[in-house]
Amino acid sequence: MKRLEAAILKAHAADDRRALARLYARAADRLNDLDAACFFLTHAYVFALETGAPEAGTLHARLKAHGREA
Amino acid sequence: MIAVVMYDGRDEMSQPLTDLGQVRASVEAARGLPNAHYTDAGVFEEERRALLFGQWTGLAVGADVPEPGDAKPLEFLGVPLLLIRDKEGTVRVFENICRHRGMILVEEPRRIEGAIRCPYHSWCYSTKGNLVSTPHVGGPGHNTHASIRRDELGLNEVRSHIWRDIVWINVSGDAAPFEEAMSDLIARWSEFDLPLYHGGHDSRFTLEVATNWKLAVENYCESYHLPWVHPGLNSYSRLEDHYHIEKRGEYSGQGTLVYRQITNENGETFPDFADVGAKWNEQAEYIAAYPNVLLGVHRDHAFAIILEPKGPERTVEHIHLYYAVPDAEEGLKMRNTQLWKTVFEEDIFVVEGMQRGRHAARFDGGRFSPVMDSPTHCFHDWVAGKIEARRAMARAAE
Repeated sequence: MKRLEAAILKAHAADDRRALARLYARAADRLNDLDAACFFLTHAYVFALETGAPEAGTLHARLKAHGREA
Repeated sequence: MIAVVMYDGRDEMSQPLTDLGQVRASVEAARGLPNAHYTDAGVFEEERRALLFGQWTGLAVGADVPEPGDAKPLEFLGVPLLLIRDKEGTVRVFENICRHRGMILVEEPRRIEGAIRCPYHSWCYSTKGNLVSTPHVGGPGHNTHASIRRDELGLNEVRSHIWRDIVWINVSGDAAPFEEAMSDLIARWSEFDLPLYHGGHDSRFTLEVATNWKLAVENYCESYHLPWVHPGLNSYSRLEDHYHIEKRGEYSGQGTLVYRQITNENGETFPDFADVGAKWNEQAEYIAAYPNVLLGVHRDHAFAIILEPKGPERTVEHIHLYYAVPDAEEGLKMRNTQLWKTVFEEDIFVVEGMQRGRHAARFDGGRFSPVMDSPTHCFHDWVAGKIEARRAMARAAE
């Protein structure tokens, strides 16, 4: 997880939003706690939405399934 | 009594900021607008509302956002706006602020790939202005809340209309529909209701001028100054070849009967606007569409100047040239841009000189040539009429 954290910080520093969408989704997948996972999933979704990334639809569906998105 | 207190503390009700009594008299007897209409911050604020926010005003051109997703932040008379071409290709204008905390959304011109994300708390909007994401609004990882109704919190859209590629906006939202407000001008130039193509990078330029925006209108719409200020034009387009154009309450300008096409070294010209009609073979017209758009049409090209008022004594002129075909010859286009740039630069000392002249306390607005100045008087009559209407409305509210 530490390596992932470092990669996320690096992507933030580089303003690489496509990478942020991928990395936050990976962080969410590694967590068993639903709230913590949805926190990261939210970030992944927002950056995917902003960049028009194709995974935005899937991420939205995952959040919606947990009652976290409209 | 309800009094409207001006931003500088003056009471709008107690007395009008200026006396417009003589401005709307006939051209023989009229005086021009008083000095304060060119120099005073309080009058500028009054005109901002009466003449600019309350009308259909030129903001930008569609060519500023050529592709779907292109977004350009603009500040118009202090209001932050966002010009955007949505994913379906429709040009829209929004207030450039997030509905959450009023943060500026877009700082630089750029392509919106997916959604507009507020840089503060990441609320996201579609290019049509719909609020599509409110991250953590119901707590961490909870992205909805019953009190935050997304369908009520889309971006604030400013009423807009595209005509001749110009993005016209009505900030107050209560002007008559564009086609109605501009119906006479649209009808006058119906023969030019044809596709027109922005000439691209070399067909746009800006001029920053130390003048009130109205002086640029006034100078543009009369031909009286041509032989003195533009002697080059006068060599083939003499004063007597011009005519006045006046539609009271809407627009004024001038026309010429001896338009001569520009040519390159091989004698080639731009392609004509197809089927524009023989009437326009040697005729061209230059019209100020009130308040702030100066238009020119010719058989083979057109131009638009959008006047951006930056303050009582500062204006930016945004100039764009258009052609009948998307691939007009580059060298010819550059030559044409240079020609018009020279003409418009020749006008700068005049509008800046008149601006400095408005600080002479005894200048009383000046007098008009009844024969030569009527298009300018027509504009002053419009200005005074709109301001008087606003003042009357304020008095009625009282």
